[in-house]
Amino acid sequence: MLRFSVIFRGRGVAKRFASSLSNESALPPNLLLPTNLVDPDRLKRPPPPADSSLPLLRKCDAAVPAHLTPVQTWVESLERQDSEPLGVAQLHPDVFAVPPRLDILHSVETWQRNYKRISHAHTKIRSEVSGGGRKPWKQKGSGRARHGSIRSPIWRGGGVSHGPRGPTSYYYMLPMKVRVQGLKVALSSKKAQDDLHIVDSLNIPTPDSQYLLDLIRHRHWGESVLIVDVGEDFSENILQATANLKTVNIIPAIGLNVHSMLKHEAIVLTLETVKFLEDKLLWHDERYTPLYPFKLPYSDFP
Amino acid sequence: MSLLGSLLRAGASYCQSAGTLLHTVRTISTGTCCQIRMHAIPQPKKVDRWTEKRSMYGVYDNIGILGDFKAHPKDLIVAPCWLKAFKGNELQRAIRKKKMVGDRMMTQDRHNLEKRIRFLYRRFNRTGKHR
Repeated sequence: MLRFSVIFRGRGVAKRFASSLSNESALPPNLLLPTNLVDPDRLKRPPPPADSSLPLLRKCDAAVPAHLTPVQTWVESLERQDSEPLGVAQLHPDVFAVPPRLDILHSVETWQRNYKRISHAHTKIRSEVSGGGRKPWKQKGSGRARHGSIRSPIWRGGGVSHGPRGPTSYYYMLPMKVRVQGLKVALSSKKAQDDLHIVDSLNIPTPDSQYLLDLIRHRHWGESVLIVDVGEDFSENILQATANLKTVNIIPAIGLNVHSMLKHEAIVLTLETVKFLEDKLLWHDERYTPLYPFKLPYSDFP
Repeated sequence: MSLLGSLLRAGASYCQSAGTLLHTVRTISTGTCCQIRMHAIPQPKKVDRWTEKRSMYGVYDNIGILGDFKAHPKDLIVAPCWLKAFKGNELQRAIRKKKMVGDRMMTQDRHNLEKRIRFLYRRFNRTGKHR
């Protein structure tokens, strides 16, 4: 999925190349570009200087291990299209800087596709097809091949001997820590590839979808954006703006998952979402193994 | 001429008499009739990758981990009730269906289900290498 998203970005680069070059040296349409091409427009936008006096808006709540340093990110604002970053936030390295385990990403992605899959393919076997109880002609003497019923699998209109049988389920669960690690790896990969953006809040001046599209194109965030916020109440402006857009989607933080993160090119998190995610994902590093399912009450776990 | 030849060749496979006619007609290609029909190559189907279902696929799959374990992703599965959060081979699925839904089924369906369970039990437990 990561590869597909990079190919998609590479195709955007090819379109720009084809339009900017003159006609006699136009690139052929079936040109295969290397998949790790970076969009040149993104590099043209100068990042803020390293010694800027932007305030540190957020420190990590949980203790950071001594051998790791927190990841620093710009905190931006959605108020104005061309506003500078408001400040700097620190992200916990055990959530946003884990080693990129592509095998865990693959297994979590296939789990998400398969665990809810129900295949309703069904064929009738020879005993379920209507008719076929009587022997069509006598065993000997008629000159034809011997048969016992007209619905046997070698007959036209007969039953299927080894076909799909009934609704089948492909349910299985991955261990909880593997799913948690999948989320951490996805967040870290997005951060490492500059696709993660932190925003202080989701207040937009207008409920206009075009404003969001212009903002995303101006900041070169990508083709598709996933906006994540904690809590069920979103401001009306952002809800209305994203309602009509196909590639810009907003979900609550409980709905975050690896498939959506891989499908959308850019992820936008608010500061509260970062706190929520760090809280939920770091707890699994230092928990005891459950003696009974977590949904039953524990004295020390809310 | 070539059309007649191809028609006769097709007809010869069905009836014996046309085959004798085939030996008399010598196929001569006079026209520019092209045998390859380019419009038979199908167009690739246009798939919209950003429908509501596809863009929101997989949301709430981690509702347990991120939502205080009040719900489990198995609650999200849309399935017949005997298949929710269950995986098994055909015999296990049939037994579970009979246990959970058997008294609500139609008589013919239930009879077929019972026959299938009987057949699969004998097949799995009395024949083959693994019993």
